[in-house]
Amino acid sequence: MKPFKLLIISVLYCNILASQNINDLTITIQPLLNSQNLILEKENTESTIINKFKFYLTNFSFTKNDELIWKEKDSYHLIDVSNPSTLNLKFEMPPDIEFDQIHFSLGTDSLINISGVMGGDLDPTKGMYWAWNSGYINFKLEGKSKNIPFEFHLGGYSPSTVQQVKLKIDKQKNTIIYFDIANFLNQIDLEKEHKLMSPGKEAQRLSKIAGSLFYLNE
Amino acid sequence: MNKNKIIAILSLFAFIELAMLLPTNTTPFKVNYPNYFPSPNYDFDKNPLTQEGIDLGRKLFYDPILSKDSSISCSNCHLSYTAFTHVDHKLSHGINDSIGNRNSPSLMNLAWHNSFMWDGAVNHLDVQALAPISHPAEMDEDLNNVIKKLELSTYPNLFYKAFGNSKITGENLLKAISQFELTLISCNSKYDSVINKTATFSLQEENGYKLYKDKCSSCHTEPLFTNNQFENNGLAIDSILKDLGRYGITKNPTDSLKFKVPTLRNIEFSFPYMHDGRYNSISDVLNHYTNNIIKTKTLSQHLSEPIKLTSNEKVDLTAFLLTLTDKNFLFNKEYDFPNHLFFPKTKDN
Repeated sequence: MKPFKLLIISVLYCNILASQNINDLTITIQPLLNSQNLILEKENTESTIINKFKFYLTNFSFTKNDELIWKEKDSYHLIDVSNPSTLNLKFEMPPDIEFDQIHFSLGTDSLINISGVMGGDLDPTKGMYWAWNSGYINFKLEGKSKNIPFEFHLGGYSPSTVQQVKLKIDKQKNTIIYFDIANFLNQIDLEKEHKLMSPGKEAQRLSKIAGSLFYLNE
Repeated sequence: MNKNKIIAILSLFAFIELAMLLPTNTTPFKVNYPNYFPSPNYDFDKNPLTQEGIDLGRKLFYDPILSKDSSISCSNCHLSYTAFTHVDHKLSHGINDSIGNRNSPSLMNLAWHNSFMWDGAVNHLDVQALAPISHPAEMDEDLNNVIKKLELSTYPNLFYKAFGNSKITGENLLKAISQFELTLISCNSKYDSVINKTATFSLQEENGYKLYKDKCSSCHTEPLFTNNQFENNGLAIDSILKDLGRYGITKNPTDSLKFKVPTLRNIEFSFPYMHDGRYNSISDVLNHYTNNIIKTKTLSQHLSEPIKLTSNEKVDLTAFLLTLTDKNFLFNKEYDFPNHLFFPKTKDN
C-alpha cells in the first residue's frame, strides 16, 4: 500500500476510534440568587441585581476513596453567566470508571499566573486579566443590592486567592453544581465594603468565602 | 452512491484534516547573544520566534492602531534611536497629551528580565503590552477593540503567516509583540568588544571600569548591567507624584521607594534618567550618588556607605559608561520603522 493511502486510512481509523470509547459527563454550573436561577440584569424581590458574574473553574479531577481516578487535561473553564454555553462543562472520560468525589479549584493557580499570555478561556481578551498588575481575576461579580452598587474582582496569585473545592458526587451521572450569590453577599457588609479590585489579603478573605459556597443537590 | 465515491469523499475529508494539522511555512529565527550572557529567562519554546512573527510584532509595535484614537504607537514612547526610551521627556506622554507618572524604560535584552515596568508590576514579557494598551494615560484602548480594528485591516493575513491562523487572538497578538521585542539585543558595544578581546579600553576607560566595578556593579551587574532587583537609590520623593514604586504593587512597607534597577547599556542615549526622568545628564546622576542620597528606611544597602568620587574619577567613570553605547543596536535597520511592512507596494521597498 502506498504510504499516502496508509496515512489516510490511519487518520480515518483514528477518527472512528476517537468517536468511540468515550463517556461524556456533563456538569452544569448553576448560579443562583436566593435559591432562584440567576438572571442577569433582573432585580429580585430583595432588590438585588447582578450585572456581571464570571469566574474560573480549573483543575477538575475525580477520585474514589480518595484515590485519583481521572483528571482533566488543560483544565481551565471560564464560567460566564452572560454566555449560557459556558455553564455546561463536558468531560470526556474513559468508560466504566467510578468515582465518589469531584475536585476543582475556583480560580487559576500561580503557575498560570506567571507563565505569560495564554489562549482559549485564559486569553486576556476575556476581560479576566489585570493589565496593571500581572495576574488573573478569578472571580468577578458586579451588581447592585439595596441601592449599593458593588464590584468584586477577586484575584491575584501572591498571596494566592485560588480555592480548592471538594464535593461528593454520584458515580457517573450528569450533575448540577449550584452557587448561590446571595450566600456570598450575605457574608459581606456592603455598606462598608462594596468595591475590591486588587490582589491582597482582602481578596484572599473574600475568595475563601466564595470557594465555600458550591454545592450539589442530593 | 457507489463504494468508490464514498472512499473518495472520505479521503478528501482526511486530506483536509491533514492539511489543517500541518504547520504553515514559517522561517525559524534564532536569537544570537554572546556566550558571556547568562541563559535567558524567557522560555523561547513557548513562543518560538519566526521571521513572520517578528515582522508582525514589529508592525504592531509601530502601528498607532493599538491606541483608542489611532494616535499613539508603542514607538511613541520607545524610540529605536534612543535605546527605545522616550528621549527629552521627563514623564512620558500618551493619548490626548496625557502625562504619565514615569519615564518610559529603555527596551533591550528583555529575554533576561524577570519583571517589567519600574515597579515590576508585570511579571512576564508577553503580558507587558497589555498595560500601556489599556492605561488611560497611554493608549486608553481595550484589547478586544484592538482586535476588532485589526480584523478589518490586512492584519489577518499577517497573523495567518505567523501563526497559521488568520483569527486574531489576544494570545497571538501579544506573542507577536514579544517576538519583535526579544530581537532587541544589545551586545555590540565597545565594552563587548573588550570582553571579546577584539578591542582594548583606553587608560581612562580602564580606570572608569575599575571604578564602576568598585562603586556601581552590585546593582548594575555585568554583563547586562542590571541585577534585575528593586532598590531605593536615595532619590528625594517627588512631592507631586508621590511615587512609592514597588510598594504600590506589593503593599509591603519594605518595598517603599524601590524601583527596578535599569541597565546602564546605551546610557549615553537613554536620557533623561531615573524613573521620573529627573536628571538629564550622566554628571547629574553621578552627583546624585555622591552628594544627594536621602537616607530612608528602605535605602539600598549598597548605598549605606557614601559613594566617593573625585571630579577626575567622575570623568573616567563617564568615559567607561560611554563604552556601553552600542551603535549596532541603536541604528539597527531591523529595529526601526518598517516601511516595507506598512507600504509594501511603494518603489523604495
